[in-house]
Order: sequence, then C-alpha cells, then structure tokens
Amino acid sequence: MGLVQGARKRSPWILHFDTGSCNGCDLEVWALLTPRYDVERFGAVNKANPKHADILLITGPVTRKCEDRLRNLYEQTSGPKLVVACGDCASTGAPFHNCYNVCGGVDKVIPVDVYVPGCAARPEALIDGLVLALSLWEKRMEEEG
Amino acid sequence: MDPMALILQIAVIILAPLAVGLLRGVDRKLTARMQNRRGPPIVQPFYDMVKLLSKSPILINNLQVTFAGAALLFQAAALALFVAGGDLLIAFFVSGAGSIFLVLGAFSVRSPYSYLGGQRELLAILAYEPVLFLAVLSLGMRSSFLVSELRGGLLEDLPLVLLAMVPVMVILLEKSPYDVPAAHQELISGPYIEYSGPYLAIMEGARWFQLAFVLGVITLFVWNDNTIVSLLGKAAIVLLVLFVTIVIDNITARLTRERMVMFMLTVGIALVAVNLIYLTIFPEGLI
Repeated sequence: MGLVQGARKRSPWILHFDTGSCNGCDLEVWALLTPRYDVERFGAVNKANPKHADILLITGPVTRKCEDRLRNLYEQTSGPKLVVACGDCASTGAPFHNCYNVCGGVDKVIPVDVYVPGCAARPEALIDGLVLALSLWEKRMEEEG
Repeated sequence: MDPMALILQIAVIILAPLAVGLLRGVDRKLTARMQNRRGPPIVQPFYDMVKLLSKSPILINNLQVTFAGAALLFQAAALALFVAGGDLLIAFFVSGAGSIFLVLGAFSVRSPYSYLGGQRELLAILAYEPVLFLAVLSLGMRSSFLVSELRGGLLEDLPLVLLAMVPVMVILLEKSPYDVPAAHQELISGPYIEYSGPYLAIMEGARWFQLAFVLGVITLFVWNDNTIVSLLGKAAIVLLVLFVTIVIDNITARLTRERMVMFMLTVGIALVAVNLIYLTIFPEGLI
C-alpha cells in the first residue's frame, strides 16, 4: 500500500477547467508550468483530459452554463480524485455570488477538497494548495475503504 | 537450448521495457533541463505507471480493453521474437500489427477526438513503417534476417539507414515536429484519450514494448566480438539517437500531418535508397 500511496503523491495529473473565470487565476495556473515555478518537478502534468486526471484545478465562479459541464467532467474522472478550487471566485463566488447567472462557488456543484484564496490566487499559493491536496490522498482512501 | 540462455532471454524481455521506462524518465528530465526547468525525477514514468494501475477502472466498452490487451500482447511478442534471435521481418510485422490495434482501440469508441487521433495515428504509421521496413530489409540483406546471426560492420555500411531511423524515433516518441497523433494542444492525447486508469497503463506498457523493439533494431547496427564492448556500443548508439531526438523536439514546432508523410516518404526512403545504391556500386563500402 505504501508503494501505491507514494506513487500517487508523486504523480498528480491535473485537469484545469475554467468555469467562467476572468482569466486572472488561469494565468497563474499556467505560470505553474514555467521555469520559475515548474510543477513538473513534483510529477504534476497538465493532462487537459478528465479521463487521465487525478486533481481538478477549477478556476472561476460556476456559471449556470458551466454547471452541467463541470459535473460531467467530475464524473468522467476516475477515482480517487481531488478537487482544488483556485481563487476567491471558485471558493465562494466572491463578487459574483448573487448574480442571476452564477451558481456560486465550485462547492455548490461538486465536492471541493482544498480552497486556495486569492484574487488572483498566487502561483505559490496554488503550489501550497496542490501539496495540501496530495496529503489528503490517504484520508480519501480511508473514506472510500 | 541451455537453460542459462533461456533465463537470460526472459530477463531481457522483462528488463528491456523497464529500461525504456527509465529512458522516458531521462527524456523528461533532459527536456526540462533544456527548458531551464528542474524536471521530474528520472523514475517518474514508474510512479505514473503504479498510480495508473491503482486508479479505479472506467471502461467505455469491452472492445476497447480487448484492443488494448492485443496491442500489449503483439508488442511483447515482437520483442520476445527479437530477443530470442528470431526473424527480424516477422518481429517487425508483429509489432506493426500491435500499432494497428492501437488505432482500432481509438476507433472503438464514439469520441471525435479519439477518431481524429486514430486517423492521425494511421497517417503516422504510413509515415514511419515504410522507412522502418526498409531499414530492417537493408540490415537483413547486408547481414542476416535472423537476429541471432547478425554480425558487425553494419554501422560502417549503413550510416544513412541509421540516420533515417532518427525521424522514425521522432514519430514513435511523439516528439516535435512530428507529434501529430497525440498533438497535445489540438487533440489532448489522440488515440489514448478515452483510456483511463489501468487501461491507459496497458497502452503505455504496449508503447514501452514497441520502443524496446525499435531501439533493439537500432542496437543491431553496433557489434563487437567482445561482449562488453558490444553492449557499451549498443547503449551508446541508443542514447545518441535518443539525445538527437530530444534536441530536435526542443528546437522545432509541430508540422502538419501532410508534411510528416511527405518528409518520411521522400527524405526517409531516399536516405535508405542512396545508402543501398552506393553499397551496390562499392560492395566493400566507402570507409
């Protein structure tokens, strides 16, 4: 079991999905791939494919148009999976929480494991959120039995 | 056959794909260093593999996993034939059948991206298989089609054939400028897109076996009567071809699928042809 847990922690494949963000957080997510932050050194790769992903990085308040798509992507991801809400909008809906076309934060649609605050969320904060998410694998495995 | 040789062959069949896994890790590390990044550890492909095997399986239809299993079996059979000293041509055709199963797997699901990836994989096969086939033919005609009877002097006689193997490796490793089937920004992962968890691990395993076979063909160019010198030479030639491929990957952008097919069917085949023509005119070789 230790081998599997170790491999999971060292190989988080990421799906980044924008549910209606202003692109501020998206830019910071992309900054993670650059030489300065280089998340590939933790084994993280942006797979852009829910079927290959382990961790969903969601940015932006969930608009009503995106609600079904987000749920669809979550269901297509094979478990165990983790969801990280990146930025204030994804965490709570922030300034858009009571808009007629917005559901609110990501947790209104799918279960969220880690909330990363910030407008926009800093790359350092995103890496912290990712590392925190990785430490949740064991807890998640116990829950799922 | 004596049991020691048999045990050695089985060990090589198991260890060769693992060595390919390690080479893919070295590849990712080198690519990262060339881009001024730190990069993942070189055993990263094994972490990925273990993780994929431990994920919960999601299957779209039974046909999909059948084709994945067939791809793995055929590629493993090709490598086994090669290691056992069998016929190079038969091993080549068995490996080719394995690549066709990858395409069939992509066509077995109703996903437009998977379909596009499958079509492009077919084009990639159309591009690299003729060149690989001619390389295998020229190796066989110069020396022997039986791997166990192949002897030295091939690198001196067939340098341009080895050169033609570089673009073949570029396509097989899905590197720029010919990373057409799994073009990341266009098709996400092409023929692999609908495989998840353990099934993706099966496909990746099939690819490790295929690469082990093709890299095995490249090692045939080097031979020395001293086993240790021979093995060192073989390792050096594989690392050299891989390094050139990584450099090409990092200095080029992706070309279109037509350009890929055109390049391989003209330049690739011409390299092999020129080599064979001058060997016919100067049977002793130029060097």
